[in-house]
Amino acid sequence: MNRNNFLPHVALALVLILVAAFAGQLRRWQKEWKHRVQIIPAEDKRRSPINNVEAAPYENRGFGAPEVLVKFRQGVNEEAIERITLGLHDRVEDEIESVPGLDAIDDLDDKTAEAVAAQYRGLPEVEYAEAVFEISADDFDSAGSPITPRDPRFSEQWALFNDGSRGGTTGADISATHAWTVTTGSDKVVVAVLDSGVDYTHSDLASNMWIRPNSVDPYEDRDLGTIQDLHGYNAVENSADPMDDNGHGTHCAGIIGAEGGNDIGIAGVNWKVQIMPLKFMNAGGYGTTKDAIEAINYVIDRKKAGVNVRVISASWGSTQKSRALEDVIRKAYEADILFVAASGNASTNNDRSPHYPSSYNVPNVVSVAALDRNDQLASFSNYGLKSVAIAAPGVDILSTWLGDEYEEKSGTSMATPVVAGVAALISANEPKITVDQLRSRLLAAVDPLNSLKGKVVSGGRINAAKALGTK
Amino acid sequence: MTKEDASEKARKDLARRLGIEESQVTEQSVAETDFPDMALGAAAGGEMSGQMITRGWKIHLKADGHTYEYRADKGQLRLYQFKGKNYKI
Repeated sequence: MNRNNFLPHVALALVLILVAAFAGQLRRWQKEWKHRVQIIPAEDKRRSPINNVEAAPYENRGFGAPEVLVKFRQGVNEEAIERITLGLHDRVEDEIESVPGLDAIDDLDDKTAEAVAAQYRGLPEVEYAEAVFEISADDFDSAGSPITPRDPRFSEQWALFNDGSRGGTTGADISATHAWTVTTGSDKVVVAVLDSGVDYTHSDLASNMWIRPNSVDPYEDRDLGTIQDLHGYNAVENSADPMDDNGHGTHCAGIIGAEGGNDIGIAGVNWKVQIMPLKFMNAGGYGTTKDAIEAINYVIDRKKAGVNVRVISASWGSTQKSRALEDVIRKAYEADILFVAASGNASTNNDRSPHYPSSYNVPNVVSVAALDRNDQLASFSNYGLKSVAIAAPGVDILSTWLGDEYEEKSGTSMATPVVAGVAALISANEPKITVDQLRSRLLAAVDPLNSLKGKVVSGGRINAAKALGTK
Repeated sequence: MTKEDASEKARKDLARRLGIEESQVTEQSVAETDFPDMALGAAAGGEMSGQMITRGWKIHLKADGHTYEYRADKGQLRLYQFKGKNYKI
């Protein structure tokens, strides 16, 4: 380079750098300005609760944190992303630089996070999209402080909150008080308790019992005719009255959904839920596979009729395999219903000596082992590294009983409705979750325990708070 | 059903099954125990039962040089593994 040309070249280079820098800043200002003056379409204004703040900068609109995380496919550029988000009436709140293509997106109308995520999942440009879970230590210090219900016997419910009393271990519980900061359940979720029936008049259960809505026709059975199923179904007597004459089903129902915060007795895993009682076991606490099949058939029929049954809780079983029972459970899977089943109480390995229905290899079956108040596998509980999915508290469990009473009972029967109850909580929080996702979520939401190593598939005890993404 | 009722009913049942006099059946032991389920760990064919620990009695009877086991709680009596099968009485 000629020495005489050196200085002009340096000056030109400096000018180009400054122009480039200014252009970049200009683009950022432009983007920001676009967000600030973004106009909400007229049709959205009518239904949006944010009409009166449409022209305000987004910081002042009271919008919350970004609701969804969207990973765009490689090659989808910034302009395309902006076009997509604007088209969906959203905005990119932040780019996650460490993961190329990952953006935190804020919804500008009142859709739920899950609905927004679903919109993005349907686009070819999107690799994945998920709702943002609110996970922060602050949650527990302020608005999300653990919730303790007013129910007078809650302190005896070690499965929900174990304070170490009666020889227990502090924290050996399902973290229900943290889970309840997210949801205490929903009366839109129906859990079928397939058992000895339920005392639907129990004062701690009555308000959470399923009642067939007028929009759903009475049950029609090809052989039995019309059954006016107000509360559920009794397969023992082929009648519409599933009243419990044993107590076992009432106990299981209370674990899932004794009304919480009502100043009476206990709290269920769900304070609010709809329990659909089904009776196939008699006063002795045993029944036939044929009646169990009839009752499951009823549940599937009700689901098809529009009842939002998400879970069947099955605290029973035997070592006898029934192909017909397996088939009807598979039909329940096809109807998007989870089937939570007791692993059995013979202290045996289900991988070698199966216990049914919990050992059926059907995708909706969740087999449950029982734990004591020290996070040890209960002495009676069956287990199985390949065939038992998860463990839950199942020793000295206090719950509702016949005659408006409460009793402590033990068994994988008691652990099963704990898991069914957590499944109902998840369904309350994420109404669109599929049965496959629900099962996966349960198995991932555990506290790993040494006592369960090599004993159950998930290696841990169900944690309701983790299942709801809070802990 | 009391423990005594269950034992008496069991003796009568065994005598009938074996075709012998009730006096030829002797009570070996009656012990309170926890059964693994509501069919007292003795489910009959095609039967499913609640998986709840159930308090009851194990009744051992002797006849013809053999020992037979009955299982009972306040609401039911069962014969355990009689010729390879369980029976609800």
